[in-house]
Amino acid sequence: MKPDGKVVLLGDVNVGKTSLLHRYMERRFQGTVSTVGGAFFLKQWGPHHISLWDTAGREQFHGLGSMYCRGAAAVILTYDVTNFQSVVELEDRFLALTDTANRDCIFAVVGNKVDLTDACACVPEAEDGHLSEKPISSSVPTKVKKQVRMDDAIAFYKKILKYKMMDEKDAPAAEKMCFETSAKSGYMVDQLFETVFDMVVPTILEQKAEGSSQTVDLHNYKTAKNTQPGCCR
Amino acid sequence: MSVKAFKLVPAVEREMLMGEKTRINIECIECCGKNLYIGTNDGSIYHFLLEERNSPSEKTSFSVTKQLHKYLSVRKAVGELKAASALNRLLVLCDSTITLVNMMNLEPIPTGARIKGAVTFTLNENPVNGDPFCVEVCIVSVKRRTIQLFLVYEDRVQIVKEVFTQEQPCAVAVDGHYLCLALTTQYIILNYNTGASQDLFPYSSEERRPIVKRIGREEFLLAGPGGLGMFATVDGISQRAPVHWSENVIGAALCFPYVVALDEEFITVHSMLDQQQKQTLAFKDGHILQDFEGKVIVATSKGVYILVPLPLERQIQDLLASHRVEEALVLAKGARRNIPKEKFQVMYKRILQQAGFIQFAQLQFLEAKELFRSGQLDVRELISLYPFLLPASSSFMRSHPPLHEYADLNQLTQGDHEKMAKCKRFLMSYLNEVRSTDVANGYKEDVDTALLKLYAEANHESLLDLLVSENFCLLTDSAAWLEKHKKYFALGLLYHSNGQDAAALQLWIKIVNGDVQDSTRTDLYEYIVDFLTSCSDHELVWKYAEWLLQRNEEIGVHVFTRRPQEEEQENSFNPDDVMSCLNKYPKSLVKYLEFLVLERRIQKEKYHTHLAVLYLEKVLHLKSLETERSEELVDTQAKLQSLLRKSDLYRAYFILDKISGSDLHMECAILYGKLEEHDKALHILVHVLKDFAAAEDYCVWNSENKGIPYRRKLFHMLLMAYLNSSSAERELVMAAVDLLNSHAADFDAALVLQLLPDSWSVQLLSSFLTGAMRESIHAQRMSQIALGLAKTENLIYKHEKVKLKGHTTVLSDRKLCQVCQTPFCEPAFVRYPNGSVVHTHCAANRLVTSNTNHHFSSSSGRT
Ligand SMILES: Nc1nc2c(ncn2[C@@H]2O[C@H](COP(=O)(O)OP(=O)(O)OP(=O)(O)O)[C@@H](O)[C@H]2O)c(=O)[nH]1
Ligand SMILES: [Mg+2]
Repeated sequence: MKPDGKVVLLGDVNVGKTSLLHRYMERRFQGTVSTVGGAFFLKQWGPHHISLWDTAGREQFHGLGSMYCRGAAAVILTYDVTNFQSVVELEDRFLALTDTANRDCIFAVVGNKVDLTDACACVPEAEDGHLSEKPISSSVPTKVKKQVRMDDAIAFYKKILKYKMMDEKDAPAAEKMCFETSAKSGYMVDQLFETVFDMVVPTILEQKAEGSSQTVDLHNYKTAKNTQPGCCR
Repeated sequence: MSVKAFKLVPAVEREMLMGEKTRINIECIECCGKNLYIGTNDGSIYHFLLEERNSPSEKTSFSVTKQLHKYLSVRKAVGELKAASALNRLLVLCDSTITLVNMMNLEPIPTGARIKGAVTFTLNENPVNGDPFCVEVCIVSVKRRTIQLFLVYEDRVQIVKEVFTQEQPCAVAVDGHYLCLALTTQYIILNYNTGASQDLFPYSSEERRPIVKRIGREEFLLAGPGGLGMFATVDGISQRAPVHWSENVIGAALCFPYVVALDEEFITVHSMLDQQQKQTLAFKDGHILQDFEGKVIVATSKGVYILVPLPLERQIQDLLASHRVEEALVLAKGARRNIPKEKFQVMYKRILQQAGFIQFAQLQFLEAKELFRSGQLDVRELISLYPFLLPASSSFMRSHPPLHEYADLNQLTQGDHEKMAKCKRFLMSYLNEVRSTDVANGYKEDVDTALLKLYAEANHESLLDLLVSENFCLLTDSAAWLEKHKKYFALGLLYHSNGQDAAALQLWIKIVNGDVQDSTRTDLYEYIVDFLTSCSDHELVWKYAEWLLQRNEEIGVHVFTRRPQEEEQENSFNPDDVMSCLNKYPKSLVKYLEFLVLERRIQKEKYHTHLAVLYLEKVLHLKSLETERSEELVDTQAKLQSLLRKSDLYRAYFILDKISGSDLHMECAILYGKLEEHDKALHILVHVLKDFAAAEDYCVWNSENKGIPYRRKLFHMLLMAYLNSSSAERELVMAAVDLLNSHAADFDAALVLQLLPDSWSVQLLSSFLTGAMRESIHAQRMSQIALGLAKTENLIYKHEKVKLKGHTTVLSDRKLCQVCQTPFCEPAFVRYPNGSVVHTHCAANRLVTSNTNHHFSSSSGRT
């Protein structure tokens, strides 16, 4: 099955890309291993099939990023709110990978692991009863300091637009496209993906329309010819 | 966890190739059809014939026969071999030159056509040139950063294109116009037609040997960083997730749905469907792994082996056997395009069913149900897991080979009662869902019987719903089961739905009588009454009528009085028979007579009289008790009066006889009324009962539908009764005045005025007088109108007559009679008002026949 559109998750090692996808697709949070190469899921969104690509953050696989981003309708740039370096990496290493994405590619900036920070007003536990699964690191949730604020993310988003030479007025608003999530609790995860999908749909429709206009309709062509008078005289 | 997807079978062993000459190594291989070619480091080519032997023991092996061994002119290593079977040519790369040799005898072709300066080469398996007698060859040239494309014919070669790359290429694959190239530091896709290129990803060819392999239309498999097998299309996009093999992969091949890779120690097998590693085969010193038309061949420098795929079906069965449902289904679905459609469907259905049972055994009912549904499982397979549910008569045999490993539910649940109960609940809901769908077609008996058994056992309320709706429960099996579980009421329903109403009733009556215990219905008696009421078997009704009446006279009689509408028309119950049956049950008898007389309106004197007598007797009886049961008395008396008043059929004298001597004056008056003895009746009303309202009433109802003169006569009689009383009581006088004033229209005023005493004032009678006046003026005017209308009508007729007489009628001997169509011979004729002219005798005949012949008479019109 050929997907109608592609959404790619980019971000440094360990920021939680795989966990976010698992949370969204399988509705749970479980232990992950660092991704090798990449993986993908197919998501049915209305009548469309959207492929969701999880990429590897490890330096070793960095070179694959451009290929994964080729033709992407949306890129989700992911960082870890408890690790300032992870945003820096987005700017330094990952932004350039999106050069191969669609011209009208949508960008979302996502700060994951908000559940770890003290600032976050106690996030509810996962709703589907996986309470028994103890956090992998330690059983006592120790709050750490939030290193990346929402303002930083918004500033970064504006940098992306500048990099892409897009006018802020034409692009989706920064406030709408910057998210803070927790793959562990599920906080804001659905909103993130659903917002992105909704914004991708117009692109898909446009592509489908283009695709169909390029197809020659033999049947119609034939009937048109038949009605032409005089060709057989 | 692993699957056994392939097995390694030796094909060409060392002795066959080089014997004791240890320095000879295999450099390359080619396989085309049954032809296997091997190129060695000493510049020779071996040709073998490879034939598959299908021994029954499932052990595929190959018979290999050596055909030829040929030395090339240079004693250098043979780098690559590619067959072009359409041209009957083998392309041989040796010493940087590609030469063409005959595929069969390995002789060089006479023209000596060749391609010089090739490092490596490949054939385009998706050629763009339409000529079937040429192949497209792409070489990495010895010239720096150069790729060349050739067309190779039987005996000549032709260069078509030379392209330059930004870096030195080291491996190439082609598909159509697209080259997939491994350059020094990266992979790229290059369209040699347009020159457009697309970077794929960086890769260091110095560290690892690159792999580029065309795996299908417009798609390539590449060795990526970190031991990845990467997929890329000609558009530079990855459509499949990468597989993760080892760091030092030497060769890779595709054998759907698996990617097979070779490294120094192992052959690894990954599924393209879920990227999982499925199998690892130890294989030392391998240095070639290639697939040829679906055949995967591996070689060390000394020997050649074939990787034989196990049938997908076997693989799937293995997965199912280890309960890996998800993987099995993915594999089965992936296999769809590799197996003929019909075969696939049969296989896939079976796999779904098996998978369903695996989920079922794990109590994953939702998943199981979905799998059963999509696998179109014969429900009986599932039912048969539950002991005793299938009817003894069922012809069902479990499918063979079995779909699961369980003898029955006991084994599956290992005696765990809770699990057992869950399984039963599942089956209940499942059967209930499917029983009215296609799934149950062909064995509805088995399904419904099983469902009945489950319901009965679980004391489930749906048991009754099942039995009262259309069902296919088998009688003997179900009856025994219901009896066992003491569901007697339900058993009755079962008998009923099998047309055995007698048995059903017998059982239910036992329940009501307390002979057997079943508290399903507390209102079972009423249920039986209703049942018999609508029962068309009248013998049964008669049989149990007495029983019903004994238990409750008033409700029991419903079997006679509430029979269905359709039946009533047939009058199938003779009232006399019913009455003789009811004789012992007075209450029932009254009800039944009421039914006949009041409801059915049967116009028979005997029923009316009988009912009247029964009412009367009851009234008399109640009166004689002289207790305070007045309500019943009032009630009955009202019924009696109403009957006496409304019915004209009873024997009035007979009743009157019975009444005489009692104080039933009102009834007496009514009876006199019926006998037209109004003076007696009015006498009673006025003088005995002194009930003037009733007297007036009497006049009204007795004169109903009898015309004004009769009414006036009655009212006149009443007036006389008031006035002529000997004891001119004031009370009666007032009554007379009131009567006159309120019923002015019911009197002949002139007559009345003569009767009235002169002493009465006009004032007293003003209302009567104005009423009478108005009445008589009205009558006068009405008759004037009638007179006027009649006169007009008369005038209209006269006018018609004059009009008709005004025309002349010409008679000639050419004119024909309209009736007999013959000419007139004498001057006499008859002319009809519409102008048609006929013979006199024809007209006479017509008058006779016109009564019978409507058509004729209507066509001739009348005045
Ligand atoms: N507390 C917390 N931990 C998280 C969250 N998301 C991910 N993690 C943990 O962070 C670690 C890394 O998560 P992954 O999802 O594997 O990260 P990744 O971005 O896919 O990493 P790579 O695949 O190596 O690029 C795991 O141990 C997760 O359990 C989160 O929202 N909250
Ligand atoms: Mg990951």
